[in-house]
This record gives sequence, structure tokens and C-alpha cells, in this order.
Amino acid sequence: MMKKLVMTVMMIVLCALLAAPSVWARETIKVGIVLPLTGGQAAFGEIERNSFEMALAEINSTKLLGDKKLEFIFEDDTGKPEVARSAAEKLITKDQVVMLGGGYGSSETFAIAGVAQQSAIPFLVNTGSADKITEQGWDYVYRLNPAASDYPMGLETFLTEVVKPKTAAILYEDSNFGSSSSKSFETTCKRLGINVVLSENYSKGGVDFKPLLVKVKQANPDLVYMISYLMDASLLMGQSMELRITPKLFVGGAAGFTLPEFPKKAGKASENVFSATLWYQTLPYPGAMEYFNNYGKKYGKETEYHGAEAYAAAYVIADTLKRAKSLSRPDVKAALSATDMMTVFGPVKFTSYDKKINQNKLPTYLVQWIDGKLELVWPKKIASKPFIYPIDFEKTWK
Amino acid sequence: MEMFIQTLVSGILIGGIYALIGIGMTLIMGVMKIINLAHGQLMMVAMYITFVCHQYLGLDPYFALFIAMPCLFVLGAAIQKYLLNPLLKVDSILPENQVLMTVGIGMVLTEVMRFIFHSDYRSIETGYSSTAFYLGGISFNLPMFVAFGIALLLTLGLFLFLLKTDVGKSVRATAQNMDAAMILGINAHWITILTYGLGSALVAAAGTLLLPIYYLFPDIGGPFTLKAFVITMLGGMGSTVGAIVGGVVLGVAESLGATYIAMSLKDAVAMVIFLLVLIFLPGGLKKLTKV
Repeated sequence: MMKKLVMTVMMIVLCALLAAPSVWARETIKVGIVLPLTGGQAAFGEIERNSFEMALAEINSTKLLGDKKLEFIFEDDTGKPEVARSAAEKLITKDQVVMLGGGYGSSETFAIAGVAQQSAIPFLVNTGSADKITEQGWDYVYRLNPAASDYPMGLETFLTEVVKPKTAAILYEDSNFGSSSSKSFETTCKRLGINVVLSENYSKGGVDFKPLLVKVKQANPDLVYMISYLMDASLLMGQSMELRITPKLFVGGAAGFTLPEFPKKAGKASENVFSATLWYQTLPYPGAMEYFNNYGKKYGKETEYHGAEAYAAAYVIADTLKRAKSLSRPDVKAALSATDMMTVFGPVKFTSYDKKINQNKLPTYLVQWIDGKLELVWPKKIASKPFIYPIDFEKTWK
Repeated sequence: MEMFIQTLVSGILIGGIYALIGIGMTLIMGVMKIINLAHGQLMMVAMYITFVCHQYLGLDPYFALFIAMPCLFVLGAAIQKYLLNPLLKVDSILPENQVLMTVGIGMVLTEVMRFIFHSDYRSIETGYSSTAFYLGGISFNLPMFVAFGIALLLTLGLFLFLLKTDVGKSVRATAQNMDAAMILGINAHWITILTYGLGSALVAAAGTLLLPIYYLFPDIGGPFTLKAFVITMLGGMGSTVGAIVGGVVLGVAESLGATYIAMSLKDAVAMVIFLLVLIFLPGGLKKLTKV
């Protein structure tokens, strides 16, 4: 008798537990976000997840989606394409998300994009920037951030108007993002009449970059352009300082060169280093400065362009789901295609140009580390601080 | 010319650290005749100890040597006593069981560290990380230079220990013939524990010295295990002098390869040398020097 009673109670509890999520599910819209939350690129992943969560809290508290609740399910790709692939598959089949977001490293993003296209589920990329991601004719893949080949656009006018370099050296990681960026920068150099005296790749994780850097020293270029993730970026600059390589300027191709961690590891070697960037908080976009300040208040850390991309992506996702006729994949896709809105990251509208489809086109900018702070220096009209050029490296590195 | 000398200098300096990584493995391999495939992972553990000492106790990495080395000695000795030696007693199908065990130990160490510290990259900031001094335009990285000096000192110390002390002689006797050593009253069981402990302590020194110039994450061990293995083969099993020469040869080969061929092929250069040694000089440099 007692046993039966216990069994019945347990069954009821079990049923209630099982039923509870489905009750909730009716009111929640689930979106899967894949980011590198651990591993070598975790620093980027953290900034992006924080920004996604910040935006999510605002979206839900302002009832942007009416009485429906938006939910982001984060998955960790650990910086490996094969993990990214299975993470995306898990989100689609197990969590039944209505669309995918995130995508940091180009190689991982490419893997996720492949899954998304196969499963016919819309995927909004916010960072993975290798050109080929939107050049596959994959109509379910949309990209919010500019392609890697567009990164040096902001740098271009600075070079023609101010520096006028004659020679350049390019150092890049032998990854999707690295080779894609270096190729496009080489084309830019050719167009501007800059002679590329050295173009060398390296595999990430090296201890000693000096054998590579002596070659740069020997070539003595006017401009050193580096495409690296965080730790390699810090080591490259630190060892350049050691070898006293003094070109007219060092420029980073975004990624590792704009994070707050970069000057922490590289120390004074990071001073006066330029970097391409996609966003800066003083840009005249509504809410940009507000986002920057709120992030600092909430997390006690500074944010930069990666965070802004994620924050903007969260709003694009919310806007898409609000406009979608239903939550079926074709309807969500149609709504995503029709996106035309203003975000903290700039206007978002997906177009096709060159070989790319569903690509958002935005201008890029140039930033510089001045006194340990990242400042927008180019274009001049919107600069937060005047650029430092010419640079006296002997004095900076003392 | 300056380019060549600079490449050579950085190759020799990084070679010092390589030697320190390799010397522990060569010692273990000489005595136990097993490849310690957890070697790089032991170094990774030492690096985390150094990291914690620096981050939470504010200790300079060079002082952390005195904490990391004894810690790893104890860890290594315990691994040998409780995990590797018991395997000897079991009549197993595979005589290489101990080697397989070290692979497992390496994985466990990596995952334990990942559990505690996550996969994030860590680095420590010291005032001298990028400090260098210059001789005729050639830059010498100070922490690497110090590491090279300490590597030489430790090698010398180990060399004298093996040559002059009773315990050292017992270690060599065990390395030459374990059964004969046991018959002559040497506690070979204890010697193996001591050797694994010493080998671990030496690689701990390498890890601690590497941390100021590099960074740290749980998967860092693997590539260094491979390097240690190459150095051991280059220098010859059990040869302390061979290890330091092997380390420097590897460092210089990698640097020259990176400068004159391509940086992304630097590991390939090391592997080619490894193959050449295996084909033309099996037994390594020990064959030539006899020590």
C-alpha cells in the first residue's frame, strides 16, 4: 500500500517535471549561439557572450518580442572546427533552435555555415570573416560583419594621405582568416604601388618568432602588417621590440590587436601600434557609446568591436524573429533577408556584391594604442584622438 | 651576416630550454628504458604551479623554481611508485604497458588542469619578459639567457651527481643492467622512483623558466613531449651531455629552418633531422661522445 503511494507520487512528480519544459517552450523562442568559450580564442568568446547576454536582458525586459521570451543557448566550439560542427548539429537537432548565431573563428564559422546550409536553418554570422564563408552560394548564411578583405579599407586612405609607404612586410597566421586577409592586403598594396618585400606565414603557438622577425629587420620595410590572434600578436610585438625593428609603423589586421589583453601581455611594445578595426564606441551610431559604457559598468572590463558585433547581432536576431510570419525556417529566413535596421555596429542590410551573397557592407576604421588606450585615429573627421605619426620607437620602447 | 648570427643566437638560446626539457626524459629513458610520453604534460603542471605562485602569492618565477621542482619531484616519484612500478609485477601481454600508462597519465594531467583552470590562455607579466641586452647589434633575450645558464648548471649538476656520488653510480648501474644491479644489492625499485622524480623536477625547471617568455594552456604539453623525444633520440638515451647538445642542435635547426626556409615549416625541419639521426646515427650523439 505504502509502496504504491510512493510510486504514484513519484510518477506525478516525474510527469510534472517532464511537462514543465514544454509549457515553458510555448513562450520561449530558442536561438543557438556557437562561440569559443574556452581555448585559445576564449577571450573573444567571452566578450561576445557577455554582449549577447546584455542585449538579451534588454530585449526581454523591454518586451521587444511581445509576450514571447527570447532565449540564447550557448555552445562552446573550443576553437576547433570539428567541435563547432557538432555543437551546431546539437543545437539544431536536440535543442530545436529556430536559427543560429555566433561564429567567431573563420574555420569554425565555415564549419557551422556548412551545417546550417545542409539543415536549411538560417545562420547569422557575427565575426567569422574569411571571404569564402559568404562566397559559397550558401543562401542560409548571412554575415553581419565585413569580410576579411574589407578590413584594411580604413587603413588604405591613411596610407595614401599620411604615411605614403614604399615597402611593406606581411606576417600572417596560416589559417583561413590569416591567408584570406593577407591576400587581400597584398592586392591593396599592389593597387597603391607599395612593394611587398616580404610575405611570410607562421603556424600559431610558436615560442620564438625571432627567426621570422630577423627577416623583417633585414628587409627593413616602411610598414609591417600582421594578422594574428591574441597570444601570437603579443609575442610578435614583444619580440619586434627586442630586435629593435623600426619600420615607419606597425599595423595589426584587427583580431588580436584590439583586445584589452593585448597591451597587458605585450607591455610597452604595444604602444603606438595601429590596427584595423570595424567599430569604435565614439562612432555616430545610436546607442554605441551607451553600449560601451553599460558593458564597462556591468562587467568591469572594456569592450571592443567583437562585443559590438555580438550586441548588434542579438538585436538583428530579435528584430528578425519579431518580423517573421511564423517560426518556420523559411519564414525566419525571409525575415532575415529583409533586415534593414540600425544597430550599435552600424546599419545592417544584407546585399550581394562580387562573389558574396547575404553580406552586410560597412566601412572600417583605424585605431592606435596611445598611452595604453585604444583610440580611433582615422578617418580624421571622427577621430577620438589625433594619431601619433611619425613614431619614435626608440623613445617609446625605452 | 647579422641575420645569420641573430638566427643562430636565438636558436642556441631556445635550445637551452629544449635541452632542459629533454634531459629529464633522457634520464628516465636511460634507466627505465621507457619513453615517458607524459613528459610535456608534467612540464605543463609545473607551469601552472609557477603561474599560481606568481598570481596569488606574488612570487617571481625564478623563486617559484624552488616550489615547482620539489612538487614535481614528489608527483613524479608518486607516479612511478604507484602507477608505473605495479605494472612491472603483472605478467602482461604487452611489455610496453608502462609507455601506454604514461600516455594515460598525460591525458589525465591535461584534463585535470583543464577542469581547474579551463582552456584559457594564461600568461604572467614580469618586468623582464621582453628585456634584452645587445652585443654588436645582436639581441640576447634576458630570460632566455638566464634559462640557458640554469640549464647548463643543472646539466652539470646532474652529470656530477651521476658520476661522483654513490646514489648516482647506483642509478647508472641500474641503467646498465637492472638485474645485475639488484643482485649487487642496489634497491633498483627505489632507484626508478628517484629517477622519475628527478626527471620530473628537471622538466619542471624548464616549464618554470619558459613561462615568463611564453604562455600557458592545458594542451601545451603535447608538442613539448615530442620535442623532448626528438632531443633524447638526437642525444642518445641516458646521455646528459647528449641532451644538451641535442637541445641546442634542435633549437638551431628550427631557427635556421624558420629563417631560410619558412617559419611554418620549422617543425618539419626538426623532424627531418630526427629521421636523419635515426637512419645514419642510431643511438644518437652518445655514440660519438661516449658519455
